[in-house]
Amino acid sequence: MKELVIYVGCTTPVRLPSYERATKLVLEKLGVNLVDMKDANCCGTQFVESLSHKAFIAMSGRILALGEEYSRDILAICGACSGSLKMVKHELDNDAELRDELNELLAEEDLEYTGSSRVKHLLQVLNEDIGYEAIERAVVNPYSNLRLAAHYGCHVTRPFEIVQVDDPENPTIIDRIIEIIGAEQVNYTGKTRCCGGPLLAMDEGVATKIGIDKIRNIQNASADGLVTACQFCNIQLTQCQFGEGMEPEERIPVLTLPQLMGPALGIPMDDLGIWLNRIDSKPVFGTLQEAK
Amino acid sequence: MTDKERFVPTSDFVEELSKRPGGEGISKCVQCGICTASCMVANETDKYRPRKLIQKIILGKREEVLSSELPWLCMTCRMCEERCQEGVSIAEIFRAVRELAAEEGHIPDVFSDTVNLIAEDGWMLADSYTDFQEDDRLDLELDPNLGWNCEFSKKIKKRYIDGE
Repeated sequence: MKELVIYVGCTTPVRLPSYERATKLVLEKLGVNLVDMKDANCCGTQFVESLSHKAFIAMSGRILALGEEYSRDILAICGACSGSLKMVKHELDNDAELRDELNELLAEEDLEYTGSSRVKHLLQVLNEDIGYEAIERAVVNPYSNLRLAAHYGCHVTRPFEIVQVDDPENPTIIDRIIEIIGAEQVNYTGKTRCCGGPLLAMDEGVATKIGIDKIRNIQNASADGLVTACQFCNIQLTQCQFGEGMEPEERIPVLTLPQLMGPALGIPMDDLGIWLNRIDSKPVFGTLQEAK
Repeated sequence: MTDKERFVPTSDFVEELSKRPGGEGISKCVQCGICTASCMVANETDKYRPRKLIQKIILGKREEVLSSELPWLCMTCRMCEERCQEGVSIAEIFRAVRELAAEEGHIPDVFSDTVNLIAEDGWMLADSYTDFQEDDRLDLELDPNLGWNCEFSKKIKKRYIDGE
């Protein structure tokens, strides 16, 4: 059995708890043992990172050291956290001075970074630790006549040299899983483009335009829904559909990958927080072969 | 002439940034513009042109760049980096620019406010975590106690950002 410690980050537990729940249920179903990381801090992405490189190293570094306390690899389900932890791990593993400075700070709490815990994004766990065959074997209630578009998330897949999750120019993990659970994956213009989320703080108007542009491309490909692997992307690509110029009936449901997988693997719909989805997801869940 | 030397334009600002983490690659830029062509922010607003911003750095327009909001508009999505033929990472260069700007007091309010919040609470959404969210978590059979550590981030801000 694969054992991981999950670092949920700041946004998922508050703004998209269904993602956390669905991740836990799906991974448990597929034979992964998860424990929650407690006493964690923010990873420092974007905000701390922009003001001080050293502060950023310290914040993500402490999370990496906490992973070692659990003697487990760290599962990150947020694109920003996964990116930060992987980038900082890469720097620490290649810079003894940086590592020493961090460990000096961590010593006050009896923590130490040695580099023994790896960081895995959810997509890696599904692809590398569980594997497509095991997922296929676990499908009990496949979807049918359903067209889904995948959105991977920038910090999940780039830069490849460091994050090592999927081909950044032609990512396939979400698409493979969409097909395995009985739906059809749909390609669309600008598939690897950003959702706009990281710009919300500085320019909400432009951020929304970037999100809408993506949604329009997905609508043009006649997709019934959109599948994400990061709560920031999920929230942004949902939120942007509530602005001007988008009719309510045009909106397409945005689902996290584990929430989409859940019912196909026989996890009860009621456990997956589907009632919290802001855009009606019946067009997706109604195509389950044994839909109620 | 068999040995062709490439002329690499430089400036004091380029030298300064090259010495900082993230800024090392700036001299590799050949100003081809594939970054701007790949950029979704540039696609949606005329105010942001990553190639031009890099050009300003190469030309040594230090104060103009450091006091501008433009380096803070990069989403760090790394689409340009994926496509750059010269191995330049604009996300990294602008990170170095932001850090230098911050040291000299040029920080957009939303960045300083958010960092203050994180330093105080240990994470970003303490104020947003209300009874409603707790109820949602309970309904989902998730632990409502998120158990954030708020001491470490205070210490880090003091040490590295306030320079105490």
